[in-house]
Amino acid sequence: MKKILQITLGIITSVGGFLEIGSVTTAAQAGALFGFQLLWAIALGTICLIFLVEMSGRLAAVSKHTIVDAMRERFGFPFFFFVLIGMVLVAFLVLIAELGGIGFALQILSGLGFPLWALPVSLVVWLMMWKGTFSLIENGASLLGLVTISFAVAAWKLNPDWSSVGASLLPTLPEQDKVKYGYLAVSILGASISPYLMYFYSSGAIEDEWDRSYIAMNRVIAGFGMTLGGVLSICVLIVAAIALRPKGVQVDTFPQAALLMTTALPRWGFYLFAFSMLFACFGAALEISLAIAYFFAQGFNWNWSENLEPSKNARFAFVYTIIILVSAVPLMLHVDPIRVTMLAMALTSATLPLAIVPFLFLMNDPIYLGKYRNGWITNSVVGIVVLISFVLAIISIPLQIFGG
Amino acid sequence: MDLVRDVLDKKLVDREQCDMGRASGLIMQFGEKTQPHITHILIGGPTLWMRIHPALGRASEKLARLWGPKSKEPVRIPWSHVETVGKDIKLDVVAKDTGALDWEIWIARHFIERIPGGGHEEEE
Amino acid sequence: MAAKLLPIGLLISALACKPPSASEQMDSAVSWVGTAGMAGEAWLRHASPDKYTRQTLELSHKSLIDIGTSLLKSLPAGIDSATVDSALARSSTHIALMAQLVEQKNSPDFRTLLDSLYADERVVKQLADSVEAKEQ
Repeated sequence: MKKILQITLGIITSVGGFLEIGSVTTAAQAGALFGFQLLWAIALGTICLIFLVEMSGRLAAVSKHTIVDAMRERFGFPFFFFVLIGMVLVAFLVLIAELGGIGFALQILSGLGFPLWALPVSLVVWLMMWKGTFSLIENGASLLGLVTISFAVAAWKLNPDWSSVGASLLPTLPEQDKVKYGYLAVSILGASISPYLMYFYSSGAIEDEWDRSYIAMNRVIAGFGMTLGGVLSICVLIVAAIALRPKGVQVDTFPQAALLMTTALPRWGFYLFAFSMLFACFGAALEISLAIAYFFAQGFNWNWSENLEPSKNARFAFVYTIIILVSAVPLMLHVDPIRVTMLAMALTSATLPLAIVPFLFLMNDPIYLGKYRNGWITNSVVGIVVLISFVLAIISIPLQIFGG
Repeated sequence: MDLVRDVLDKKLVDREQCDMGRASGLIMQFGEKTQPHITHILIGGPTLWMRIHPALGRASEKLARLWGPKSKEPVRIPWSHVETVGKDIKLDVVAKDTGALDWEIWIARHFIERIPGGGHEEEE
Repeated sequence: MAAKLLPIGLLISALACKPPSASEQMDSAVSWVGTAGMAGEAWLRHASPDKYTRQTLELSHKSLIDIGTSLLKSLPAGIDSATVDSALARSSTHIALMAQLVEQKNSPDFRTLLDSLYADERVVKQLADSVEAKEQ
């Protein structure tokens, strides 16, 4: 019974964690510009993420190491530090984007510009980290994030041609705007396959004291949770394709994105979007702050646990305090969160090999996983992901310049 | 024992299961007639940064003299205090006494405890 | 190594400064007119806040003016710039008036203007299609 509850909570967390400003913005832009054509990118990203998250949980349950623990030990300090820099810089950009997302949601609700909300928002996020426990954060933010199910309701109400939707699971090239298409595909993959999710998930498994008996449960959570999250992203794309594309409305700004569900849900669509973004970005901001702080704390073996009061893990608390407060600064200076989002998504794609290649080595190391090492299917899927992400890494940066 | 695989960068844990950082370096003694053996484990500090580049090691030394707990020497644990080497390295010491937690305590005192709700390092 | 990087760097920076084409700008104009229309509909249904609606209409208005200014320099041959200019100006004027009506909470006149905006939308879309055809 307890396990069923844990599975449910785990799935809810995964759903809540999937949708955030990156996945919503990229899916909405894709739908508005290319209809259903980029659906395959969301599907592919989701499949990859399922495997990666399952691996994160399995590593923690079997070896009692988080990914970062194992990476430092296996590859030594210089390599670890190199990965730290890359991962933290990109995660920091994503954090700025998420805080911006919360600020934008408050802007469209109140009329007050997001720069004014930046500092109050970051203080609230910080306070949750300072005073909250891991379960409170994980479960509380995720339950609130369930309001994002409204995207699925909107998609269903718009009655899409489901056979077209299904056909779009296979990649096709558009007739025009190939550069923009490619850039959006890269961004969607970067939005779906977020390394911070892997680090957060493996840390959570250790915080929740998983052992080998959790391996099956881990598969269920990773599989169902990420699938549901991916489905919600696909719903955002469908809604944009049906409600925005025929009118030629592009999603270049957040106020335009806010119109997403006003056709499907005439009375409540606007407010459901605002609250969906508010809670989804809030949850993501918490996860990213934790993921960054975990990276430092686990890498250097400081005390770390969200369940301890701050003075008992001072360096860990210090790191998240600094990053949350500093990430508010660009927003206060009117830097556009949508721009930051698109940049962060492309950079995530570009740095995916840095995160995934060492992880793949670890998942095949008998010292850490014994008989629970990766099978050939997992290795193949992840291997293909690494290949695609590497190719995308080469393409994404010039595309950023052309299409951005 | 494979020193790099089994000792270096491993977690160090004290008598009370308290995390005290990672082995960032080792001091070894080479004698004419004896086998080379480890005499000390080094924790944190310039040793760590030296592994990336000597210049970083020197910069870290300079910074440590200006800011933070101004400890005079890097933290050294004699190999005799090692109890077991497994998933992590268990040491027969109390973390606070070794200097491994100097930064943790310094940051707790100077920043964390000054913020409401931060708690106190010394409370049990 | 540096000798190879320099021309690549120059190329990238030259491309980075590439301004949007006329048809891209017309697509953007269509997008902003459409945005104003959708925002207007939501407001009439009392489904969105006054401040959001007014701010979005003002943003659409400003964006259309900016597009109008920069388009004049980049229209392809065969497109009458006066036609494009007046279509964009008409739309942006309607949108600016709509923003004022939101402040006055004047729904009936707003409805009338919104219907005019839909007519504007059709004209701007046709012009956008023409510009795209001429550019190819």
